[in-house]
Amino acid sequence: MPRVDADLKLDFKDVLFRPKRSSLKSRSEVDLQRTFTFRNSKQTYNGIPIIAANMDTTGTFEMAQVMSKHTLFTAIHKHYSLEEWKTFAASHPECLEHVAASSGSGKADLEKLCSILEAIPLIKYICLDVANGYSEYFVEFVKTVRQKFPNHTIMAGNVVTGEMVEELILSGADIIKVGIGPGSVCTTRIKTGVGYPQLSAVIECADSAHGLKGHIISDGGCSCPGDVAKAFGAGADFVMLGGMFAGHDQCAGDVIEKDGKKYKLFYGMSSDTAMKKYVGGVAEYRASEGRTVQVPYKGDVEGTIRDILGGLRSTCTYVGAAKLKELSRRTTFIRVTQQSSQMFT
Amino acid sequence: MPRIENDIKLDFKDVLLRPKRSTLKSRSEVDLTRSFSFRNSKGSYHGIPIIAANMDTVGTFEMATALCQFSLFTAIHKHYAVDEWKEFAAQHPECVQNVAVSTGTGEGDFEKLSAIIAAVPQIQYICVDVANGYSEHFVHFVKDVRQKFPSHTIMAGNVVTGEMVEELILAGADIIKVGIGPGSVCTTRKKTGVGYPQLSAVIECADAAHGLGGHIISDGGCTCPGDVSKAFGAGADFVMLGGMLAGHSESGGETIEKNGKKYKLFYGMSSDTAMKKHAGGVAEYRASEGKTVEVPFKGPVEVTVRDVLGGVRSTCTYVGAAKLKELSRRTTFIRVTQQLNTVFGNDS
Repeated sequence: MPRVDADLKLDFKDVLFRPKRSSLKSRSEVDLQRTFTFRNSKQTYNGIPIIAANMDTTGTFEMAQVMSKHTLFTAIHKHYSLEEWKTFAASHPECLEHVAASSGSGKADLEKLCSILEAIPLIKYICLDVANGYSEYFVEFVKTVRQKFPNHTIMAGNVVTGEMVEELILSGADIIKVGIGPGSVCTTRIKTGVGYPQLSAVIECADSAHGLKGHIISDGGCSCPGDVAKAFGAGADFVMLGGMFAGHDQCAGDVIEKDGKKYKLFYGMSSDTAMKKYVGGVAEYRASEGRTVQVPYKGDVEGTIRDILGGLRSTCTYVGAAKLKELSRRTTFIRVTQQSSQMFT
Repeated sequence: MPRIENDIKLDFKDVLLRPKRSTLKSRSEVDLTRSFSFRNSKGSYHGIPIIAANMDTVGTFEMATALCQFSLFTAIHKHYAVDEWKEFAAQHPECVQNVAVSTGTGEGDFEKLSAIIAAVPQIQYICVDVANGYSEHFVHFVKDVRQKFPSHTIMAGNVVTGEMVEELILAGADIIKVGIGPGSVCTTRKKTGVGYPQLSAVIECADAAHGLGGHIISDGGCTCPGDVSKAFGAGADFVMLGGMLAGHSESGGETIEKNGKKYKLFYGMSSDTAMKKHAGGVAEYRASEGKTVEVPFKGPVEVTVRDVLGGVRSTCTYVGAAKLKELSRRTTFIRVTQQLNTVFGNDS
């Protein structure tokens, strides 16, 4: 008989931070930088742990140039050619410590990843990304990549439960991507019924990862700076953003004009749009698991970055965390039924 | 004094499936077909156990012709004449094994059912469908049908609780239809206050049916492929769809054009629309218990079928089920407060 887990699992929208006494005088005193040493690669990281998602619209070289100026991170999407990577590395060597090269678990993906890492030894991060991180095949793939690249820091996912976080860390991954279905252009929950509310997933997975000295990325579900803060408060070491970084100058795709308003296209990497672009269409045996939206054009991503970092600093002062590192220790979430006043919306 | 059951009963929207470790490499490895042997008819079934509902907009011969290509099932609505049945059986003999003939319990229904089965003896399934399967009259009717058709597989409903599932199986039904009020064009819950959240109904009724070697259909409440997966995960042997299959080329009714957009009419079988069409209006003593909506025209049903089957296959890979049969054994539901990120609206 199927089992129903009686515990209610929570999303970002179900909670708010409880303010706490604080000795901070201004948000400007808050330090958002973090330093990590990774369990398997033994490498060290320093920066503001926010990552632009490895989607072909947001994980671009143009995005990486702006992000790295603020010590933010970019997971570069897997569709760039080796030549494009070489050109980028030659013209922007300073960005390389803040980017990851992405790969799926297919054979051609692995070969391309190897050729990129060989050609550009300054890349230190690998992002192994599949829709369903629960397959035995993916675990084997992570082991293979770890063996080939003993000193690279490996991000791997996506999963949503503690036991699978542990399994991937023990298989050689350093940072586990957490999130199934929370994204703004993801329809996995509608198409399959599978998923896990993001706040609970982050709390549970962070606990498992930290127990083994591993790290996690909260991937998906952030719709505003407050959600980014909640993800960190829940225990995420990194927070990955797709929709919040969409629609900017640095995103791939053309600006569309409609009735005098400007838009850019944004879509899930398993949507019709993406599958048509890269694999010639949706295969017979599968359903598309993403959608395509037109997001209002937002100009330079610089403005959005400042907004997010400002929000995050403010959260830290409200709960009395002088450093981002202290945020989750000082977090008490309260359960709510409404996030903000609906009066003027 | 009225009693309140304190256990929260759950709908599809209240849960998600927890992913589990899996040895599958691709969705294409998942087998969605199932084989059943039925308790009372001793008949056997093989196919993908998704059923088009016996509504006059959905349970059409055109739908059956399209769905049987995918080995899906159609409960043909009860308003076709005997001659129309004969014509269908002559033109599409290969589809007859994947359809049921439907009947109510009213006067004349039994005679018409007998006439259709006499004319098309290849029909193996009978769907006895009433709004309220809790009446003693209905139980007797099921017994009569079983006596007259000892080797036909009988679907009967609708009910939502274990004890009534057991009663109907013992009265001769093979497959019990489960669902009161969950449908997209059903207003029973509004008009009567009666109903049962569909996920809990399926979990409880499947348990009762399987204990006796019977089967159930989850009927109503599915709004997307994920809900179909949840119904199977909860233990449904079959899942019946109305609204999700409405609005296609194969659906009954005319296509309406409004402001350059195309629509088709879809309505509950106890709505004003249906009662006017088939019974000359809503009787004085009753309220209509269904509504009428215009659903956007969606073209051939084939596209929707692929989307649903693709979704269920993907679910199976997420929980590590190589066959649909294993899905409910590998299901753990978690309780949630929202299904989907709605930052960019609700459309998929």
